[in-house]
Amino acid sequence: MQGNLSSFDWGRPEWRQITPLILLLVSSILLLSARLSRGRLHIPGYLRYLWAFLLVFAVADFVSFTPAVWLLAFISFRALREYFSLVDLRLEDRLGVMGAYVAIPFMIYLVQIDWYGFFIVSIPVYAFIVIPYLVTVFDEDGRGSLLSIGMIDFGLFFFVYCLGHLAYLAYYSTWLALLLLLSVTLCKLVSTCCTSRGRLVGFLLGLPAVVGLSLLLQPWTDVPLVPAVFVGVLIPVLVQMGERTITAIERDLGIDAGNLEPGRGRVLDALATYLFAAPIVFHYLRWIMKFGESVTGHGA
Amino acid sequence: MAPELHRLSRLIFHLLLLRPLLHLIFGLNVRGTENLPARGPFILAANHNSHLDILMLCSSLPLHMLGDVHIVAARDYFERHKKLFTFLDWLFRPVWVDRGAGGGDVLKRMVEIVDAGGILIVFPEGTRGEAGVMGRFHSGVGRLVGDRPLTPLLPAFILGSERALPREAALPLPVWQHVSIGPPQIVQGSGGDITRDLQQSVAALGRSETAKRQRRREERRQAFVVAVLGIDGSGKSTLARLLAEDYSVDQSTCLIGDELMLFADGAQRRAQPLLKEKLRRWLSAQAKDARSLAFYKIPKISELLLRDALLGEARRWYGPDLVFMDGSPLLNMTAWSTLYRNELMSPEFCARAIEILSGGGQPNDPLYREFPELKAIKRLGLARLHRPDAVIFLDVAPGVSMKRIFDRGEKLQVHENEEKLSRLREAYLLVVRALNENLNLPAFVLDGERDQLTIRDEARCLIDEIRTGIGEATS
Repeated sequence: MQGNLSSFDWGRPEWRQITPLILLLVSSILLLSARLSRGRLHIPGYLRYLWAFLLVFAVADFVSFTPAVWLLAFISFRALREYFSLVDLRLEDRLGVMGAYVAIPFMIYLVQIDWYGFFIVSIPVYAFIVIPYLVTVFDEDGRGSLLSIGMIDFGLFFFVYCLGHLAYLAYYSTWLALLLLLSVTLCKLVSTCCTSRGRLVGFLLGLPAVVGLSLLLQPWTDVPLVPAVFVGVLIPVLVQMGERTITAIERDLGIDAGNLEPGRGRVLDALATYLFAAPIVFHYLRWIMKFGESVTGHGA
Repeated sequence: MAPELHRLSRLIFHLLLLRPLLHLIFGLNVRGTENLPARGPFILAANHNSHLDILMLCSSLPLHMLGDVHIVAARDYFERHKKLFTFLDWLFRPVWVDRGAGGGDVLKRMVEIVDAGGILIVFPEGTRGEAGVMGRFHSGVGRLVGDRPLTPLLPAFILGSERALPREAALPLPVWQHVSIGPPQIVQGSGGDITRDLQQSVAALGRSETAKRQRRREERRQAFVVAVLGIDGSGKSTLARLLAEDYSVDQSTCLIGDELMLFADGAQRRAQPLLKEKLRRWLSAQAKDARSLAFYKIPKISELLLRDALLGEARRWYGPDLVFMDGSPLLNMTAWSTLYRNELMSPEFCARAIEILSGGGQPNDPLYREFPELKAIKRLGLARLHRPDAVIFLDVAPGVSMKRIFDRGEKLQVHENEEKLSRLREAYLLVVRALNENLNLPAFVLDGERDQLTIRDEARCLIDEIRTGIGEATS
């Protein structure tokens, strides 16, 4: 028995491919039971989005990356739509908002064709120059335009650009994206369990759990040992920062986290922590794994 | 085509095209479907901001009801586009209204639909109007329900369509749509009464829906400033404090008297001290100890200027709803000037002095020659004193006020004698006249020899009246 376990090879390509499917199956059963339980079994929103991402990655691995990345574009659209429904926009901001929506297919296409150089500047340079112009072009008065630009730019950055980073990470390797998503989910689960004991306890318990997860997934993610430990430390810190930021934003937007109605914070509440952690983890892994220097992943 | 086939094709169109598209592009959240009767007849009346409204309301209804739905729409608007008109005529089977023509036929047709068990969707505003602003409801729906009082009338509010596709926009913007359906109304009275009640119900639904939306920070409201004037011993400090305490039950108030106090929730609250306040109190003590009017003047003017600056500071740092001032630097200076130059007393003179001291006035006003202090204040850039929003003058006979001052047992100030107080009282009355007649600023004279609580209640009534008037004028 012991001999069997020690000879079990986690790094085999079959396990690497089949595990996301098993995770998808488990989460599908969990969501289905929650739906059939008529409210008795409550599933947090972020688990629903973890399921959605698992589905996207399954499509990427077993069908093609192109439909998968466009499914991510749809998730980005849903999140941005909800955000724009919540913020206090003026009539004059319509063109700027439209510009933000147009940025989604534009950016996703850049991920699809693996044009990293343009992807990384598309929103912070081009969109952030064009959208203020679009906001002010029909605005005779100008009052409130700065606030509108800030609101639109933040939505674009968070729900399009950060999600773009997740898409790009998935482009390089599904398991790297899963490392991020599973770690954030684990952090959130631990912190939900430790709500009564305070944030610090949740963080201190989440930290070794995520480091352990990162090391466990090492054969599939191919991240070297030290960076794997570092990512395991980095993600709980980012989750803590993200939760703090998102709580404040939700409060400002009037989102009632205890009673999330459709169109009133459901997507934002579920997705925000994943998106908050995505860019930094992406850039660290890209640097460590030297993705810029050789063609790997779905582009290989 | 047979009517059943029409009905089926409409349902398929709704089910396979319209609803999925609306959910995909906009997202639709419906609340209050439990308020819908199981079947028609009923009338659904909603606010109207966009062409999307009708699509959203139809998509909010259970599918089996769609066969009985009729809408009320403007023929003159849609008839301009022939194909669209034919399509809408097939999809919604509207009761077409010719705006500008009489509504008798329309009402008759609506009654027929209701009698046949149909579901009528109406937009009583008649037109899409300004985005996010609910217009006045037309009385047609009231008349219809007045004719058929047993037909359930359901108010509905649509939030989001005014952003997605307002009248000014050509392209729709993907944002969530929230439809809130209220419980059936119990209607009574004339058509006008029913319409008014319906508008109130829709507005109430709208308030609860829009309350969940983020609002940009409202423009900082300026505190309403009430100055309580009176000669020494008239009880103005007591009245100002009583008013500040009384209003603080539901608002935050600030009292600027011998000391600066803040009140909230019916009690005094602590606040970060201000440096100007400490300096002012020291100057006030100096003025009270002055041996003659000449020595009184400089510290008193300085104290008044600082008191005025304090009003700005209190507004900036404490943000109260109401400020009560024991005296008003602007009006006190004006009134006091007459103590020195009695012969110049007139309402016009007072009005000109107030204009100059509050930052206006003519550059070559002869008043500057009479009062070099005024010129000095202007040159130093100090003539920007605040005008209060309302003034209350407590009128007390100088004899009575002298008795009150003696009863306090404090040291008498240099001007506290019957003759000077009598002149000061006249000067204040003149200022009140100037405010009312020349400057259009509400100023009231109250008899200060009555019970303090009676005076407070009377003052409160007057202040409330002015504030309500200002609120109505602004809205």
